[in-house]
Amino acid sequence: MSKPNDLVQGTLDLLLLKILALEPLHGWAISLRLKSISGDVLQVSEGSLYPALHKLEQEGWITAEWKQTENNRRAKFYSLTRVGKKQLESEAANWQRLSSAISQVIGLEEA
Amino acid sequence: MRPEHWLYTIPLRLRSLFRRTNVEQELSEELQFHLEHKIEEGIANGLSPKEARYAALHAMGGLEQRKEEIRDMRHIRWLTDFFDDARFALRSLRRTPGLTAFVAITLALGIGMTSATFSMVDGLIFRPYPVPHPGNVVSLVGTTHDNPYDSFSYREYLDIRDKTNSYTGVIANAGMEAVGFSAEPGTTPRIKGGTMVSGNYFQVLGVEPRLGRGFREEEDQVPGRNPVVVLGPDFWRHEFSSDESVLGKTILLNGTKFTVIGVAPDSFPGMSTFGHPDFYMPLAMARVFSTNIGKNFFEDRDDRELGVKARLKPGTTLEQARNELAVLAKNFEREYPNSTRSRGAAVYTQFQARTIEDENWKFGVIFLILALAVLLVACTNVAGLLLSRSRARAREIAVRLALGAGRFRLIRLLLTESLILATFGGLAGIAIGYGVVEWFHSKESIVFATELPVAIPFHMDRRVLLACVALSVLSAILCGLAPALQSTRVDLVNALKSADVDVPGRKRLWGRNMLVVAQVSMSLMLLTASFLMARGFQHDLMEGHGFTKDHLLMTSFDPRLIQYNATQTQQFYKLLAERMREMPGVQSEALTQNVPLGNDDFDGVAFVPEGFQMPPDRANFNSTMDTIDEGYFATMGIPILRGRAFLSSDTADSTRVAIVNEHFAKHYWPGGDAVGKHIRLDSNAGAPVEIVGVAQTIKTQNMADPTDFVYMPLAQHPVARMVLMLHTSGDPLQLVQPVKDVVRSLDSNLPMLQIRAYQDFYLNQAVRGPRIAIDLVGSMGLVGLLLAVAGLYGLVAYNVSRRTREIGIRIALGAASSNVLRLVLGKGLVLVGIGIVAGLAMGFALEQLMNSMLFNSGGVDILAYAVVVPTMLLVTMLAAYVPARRATKIAPTQALRYE
Repeated sequence: MSKPNDLVQGTLDLLLLKILALEPLHGWAISLRLKSISGDVLQVSEGSLYPALHKLEQEGWITAEWKQTENNRRAKFYSLTRVGKKQLESEAANWQRLSSAISQVIGLEEA
Repeated sequence: MRPEHWLYTIPLRLRSLFRRTNVEQELSEELQFHLEHKIEEGIANGLSPKEARYAALHAMGGLEQRKEEIRDMRHIRWLTDFFDDARFALRSLRRTPGLTAFVAITLALGIGMTSATFSMVDGLIFRPYPVPHPGNVVSLVGTTHDNPYDSFSYREYLDIRDKTNSYTGVIANAGMEAVGFSAEPGTTPRIKGGTMVSGNYFQVLGVEPRLGRGFREEEDQVPGRNPVVVLGPDFWRHEFSSDESVLGKTILLNGTKFTVIGVAPDSFPGMSTFGHPDFYMPLAMARVFSTNIGKNFFEDRDDRELGVKARLKPGTTLEQARNELAVLAKNFEREYPNSTRSRGAAVYTQFQARTIEDENWKFGVIFLILALAVLLVACTNVAGLLLSRSRARAREIAVRLALGAGRFRLIRLLLTESLILATFGGLAGIAIGYGVVEWFHSKESIVFATELPVAIPFHMDRRVLLACVALSVLSAILCGLAPALQSTRVDLVNALKSADVDVPGRKRLWGRNMLVVAQVSMSLMLLTASFLMARGFQHDLMEGHGFTKDHLLMTSFDPRLIQYNATQTQQFYKLLAERMREMPGVQSEALTQNVPLGNDDFDGVAFVPEGFQMPPDRANFNSTMDTIDEGYFATMGIPILRGRAFLSSDTADSTRVAIVNEHFAKHYWPGGDAVGKHIRLDSNAGAPVEIVGVAQTIKTQNMADPTDFVYMPLAQHPVARMVLMLHTSGDPLQLVQPVKDVVRSLDSNLPMLQIRAYQDFYLNQAVRGPRIAIDLVGSMGLVGLLLAVAGLYGLVAYNVSRRTREIGIRIALGAASSNVLRLVLGKGLVLVGIGIVAGLAMGFALEQLMNSMLFNSGGVDILAYAVVVPTMLLVTMLAAYVPARRATKIAPTQALRYE
């Protein structure tokens, strides 16, 4: 496996919210999905994933439910709440503003 | 959005709190699930099961630590931590029951005494009036040169009520007085306490009667028209067994029929600090009750008997109200110059009123200061104990720190421990506080020797309990913080290496030393205080009073209770005096309005000495006075220095005469003879009174210097309520029955108040009363001393145990006992010395405070210090010597073997 890139602090929340917006998943599936969507670029370590998930849960942006997986095993599925959706929109907007600003600076012609 | 957000998160937090095992289980399961999948992934990538597991665990970086991080995410972490800490603290406290008990008791003593004295201060000063919105109830008073808290007359009250704009309502009440009460006509009246109030009293105060209604304004309009009465709640309970049919019932007050129209609620025992009226009557019925004979209550502007209170209008400031009243007072002066000269007016808040009105609160404050000192000693003691205890746990703390616990987290743990201890102490302290307050209440009959419903206002109510809780938390922080801070500043390596973690550095012991100094100085201050107080009272007692106290029988009468008019009253007293003089066993009789050294205030008289030029701002001088008959001076054994005593020839028709005491004579005619001079009553143009005698100055009030005094004859200055004093040849109590028989023969309906020997009365007032205060302060001093001794003993013993090895080596090397003693005691004694010096300074300051507040004697009481300081030295030296001596007995071989 290639060395995982460091994720910018705080964008992990944004990524998790977005993934859960697509469909409810359990923790393992979330890490897999993130890896596959980003083409192996974004790999979140377990040490960051679960604390982040629990934090989001405590804030009320995602909610959890114990369900059966396809293999008939019990897992904790997270899904986005209505409040979480609003949070996702606001954080996504922030990210857009931030990243386009950075792109603008980087895109400047060097002398 | 926010509320429904909470709706989601709150159940979650609650769940984390109360279903912890479930939550923990789920967490394990979730992480386990992830782990298994990771292992599967590893196996799918070609690793062996063992390698896959190792890789997965490695990637997950330690399950337990992950869990801990996740737990940190829960926002109620601090609360669950607190419960954990509390449970742990309880366990470790249970392992050292002796220490725990000692600490709890120590704190309990401190907290208990402080809360009891706080209840005193609260009852005397702070407790708000028992009415809705007590904050805007203010007191209106008159001010003169001599009296910053004077009453108003009826006419003045009406003017204030009608001519001011600052208030939503102005009420008036007379003081509580003795009233003859009969539930049924024909029964002998019993003495109860009643208060006359204005018609709007209950309505303005906002008091909702429990039964029936309060007074209406029109019931207080016409003098004598509406004989209605409202009962007090306790009186209704005792007298009528809470029977609701009492409404509409007719009762007799001072022989007049009154109709019961209501009962006050339990929440309203009365507005006064000490007195709880049995019933309330309208001011309009004043003629029935004990108002001044010789003055017209409703008309005379100088018959000042009413206390006035009012509710400030919202939006009006105290300043505005004050100014308005001052202007009104000036108008009074202008319009009624005869009755109102150099008299101002003021508006006071409840706090000001309570502190200006009388001086009882000063005692309360001093007690509170002393109790806080005890609490401080207790806290320092406990802090010292906790410090040594945490030293013993140094290893455990070091391990926790090494495992990654934050310093703050550990401090929280240790503080929780002291909080638990303080809780135990606080609960026990509440019990002690109750005990002290109950003890006070049991002494009520000694402090108040009267039939009136007077009570001590100290109660362990909600406010005091809240103070208790606050004190507990405060002491927990005080005791626990320093040890917690110090013990977590440990050098990890040393701590883990050996059990004896202490490096005897100077900085280390600084905290502990401060504690000992603080304890010794506080304790010294407490002892000094109790000594000073005892001496102060003793001094007061020892002073000669100037009259004989033994072989005196006394009882009071108030013929107004059975509706005697002025003539009948005079006749009664004349007959009474005659019959008493004839009684066998009676050497002489006397009638006086007030007894010296009693509870009641003496009347005052305003006068102008003949020929004096009065300063422009004063209309007259004031003096205390007493109304007496011819037998007074002889009966009381007071010598007449010049001139004569009153004679039976001093009647209502003869020249008005008066007798003054030597203090008065020296004051106004120094170097001359007061006999033959005249004074004019009230003002320069008032009735002239000739001074016919000068009596020796006696002490009329407890704990006060003798003052000017004027005596007037009963025949010329009729007073309704008089005290009969009989000088007996034998035991005064032998004559109780004969006196009762004589009174009954004169009028069987007339109640006799408080028949007893003056000696007993005086003992209660002057001795047993103050003794209560001395006991209280003394016990605080003793507790303080015990705690300080325990603290010092603990310190020295601890020192010895720490340095056992060192001492063993010294002894092995040939140190003599005296050397060892000096080594161990040396520091301790230095500390004691510093403590004593500090304590002396504090004691000195306290003495000045007490002098200014209580006793009028100034200066420094050397004897107090001469006794207290050596006592302190002796006791503390003993406390230090005992463990030190044990040090000398250390067998070197034992010590060196000690790990």
